[in-house]
Amino acid sequence: MKSAWVVLKRELGSFFVSPLAYVVLTSWLVWNGVVFWVLTEFYARNAVSSGASTPLSGFFGGSTLFFIPLLVFVPVLTMRLVAGEKQSGTIEPLLTAPVSEASVIFGKYGASLVIWCVLWLPTLVYAWIMSQHGSVDWGATAASYFGIFCLGAYFMAVGLLMSVLAPTQIIAAVLSFVALGVLFTVGIGEFVLDGTAREVCAYVSMWGHMQSFSKGVVDTRHLVFDLSVAVLAVGLSIGALKARRHG
Amino acid sequence: MLTGYLAPTSGHIRIDGIDAVTSSIRARERLGYMPEGVPLYREMRVHEYLRHRGALKRVPNLAEAIDRSLQLAGVTDVRTRIVGQLSKGYRQRVGLAEALIADPPILILDEPTSGLDPNQVRQFRELVRSFGGKKTVLLSTHILSEVEAVCDRVIIIREGQKVADLKPGDAETSLEDVFAELTTSGATEDAS
Repeated sequence: MKSAWVVLKRELGSFFVSPLAYVVLTSWLVWNGVVFWVLTEFYARNAVSSGASTPLSGFFGGSTLFFIPLLVFVPVLTMRLVAGEKQSGTIEPLLTAPVSEASVIFGKYGASLVIWCVLWLPTLVYAWIMSQHGSVDWGATAASYFGIFCLGAYFMAVGLLMSVLAPTQIIAAVLSFVALGVLFTVGIGEFVLDGTAREVCAYVSMWGHMQSFSKGVVDTRHLVFDLSVAVLAVGLSIGALKARRHG
Repeated sequence: MLTGYLAPTSGHIRIDGIDAVTSSIRARERLGYMPEGVPLYREMRVHEYLRHRGALKRVPNLAEAIDRSLQLAGVTDVRTRIVGQLSKGYRQRVGLAEALIADPPILILDEPTSGLDPNQVRQFRELVRSFGGKKTVLLSTHILSEVEAVCDRVIIIREGQKVADLKPGDAETSLEDVFAELTTSGATEDAS
């Protein structure tokens, strides 16, 4: 597992010296800044309609504004993990070094989780702003961040798997976009269908997932789903990387 | 396949007596490999790259090992430069430094002198000769004069089949004639 740590360090190092990191982080904060401002304005003008929800709970998954950028940013962040090495040819020295495929994948996955956290860290400022002008439900905020971490664990694992499968970064990005887009759309079925189909859609729904976390409800069904997808995708990534030797 | 990058569909590979398929990682520990085209992490500095690769290969006394391999490959003067900004010749030698970092008993070099200037080619040959008796160097190349200059055993492979196994001094005719005789177009030539 020491090798995984070495891979993780290089991955983060190369990410944070690349212009991509700063383009992504900046546009991410611009987007979320605008969303947060719009939501705050909305709740300030419609005090009656707000009820139990607050700008913060609205921010964390109360609207599609939360998910649209994620469907774009996650593929951009994960596309380079393995597909980038394939394109530059550095996958050859990496896989001929005395390290296991599992260490490579764990290192890359770990790095993507760190990047995910770095993405969200600055948004703590929104909670602080709200606390200066009113009361903040810190329990619900903590649950929101926990929900975001779990969602990230699952998104990043899907992106990683696509990056292992795809020959180039662009294809990896498109595949992860489609995979996450389909999962998101299936979740919308919660509001459209009924009966068993509705249950299934609600189980997959990212929207429902974040809505319950943003209210401070930590629903284990969502946790089990996130964790199972993450474990499955990471496991498949290791398998796919091993299978590559036979391809 | 020898380096564990691809798995064989049939047969066995043993590196220094270690099965390269079942004990792949242990076999890879015995190897220093410089792939054709020398892919490197371009955003890293030379010493950072060597430190990263050394850590991956679990090299003890890493700082010393880095200095030693920088010196052997003749790249000490660019140790703080960014890999992507180096010339092809320098990148080639950084790749060589990387292959040497764990001081492996076996080196596999694929087209190691492409992109080097004549002086660097000469230096490289001297370096390979200096390993004589200490390391096994497997050199895969199309440059026959290089083979004649540094190798003590030549294996010519044509479409996956070994077609010749000889010593460069043995043949009455030059290696070039032997090669032409044994192969037509699209064949590769390996020597060690």
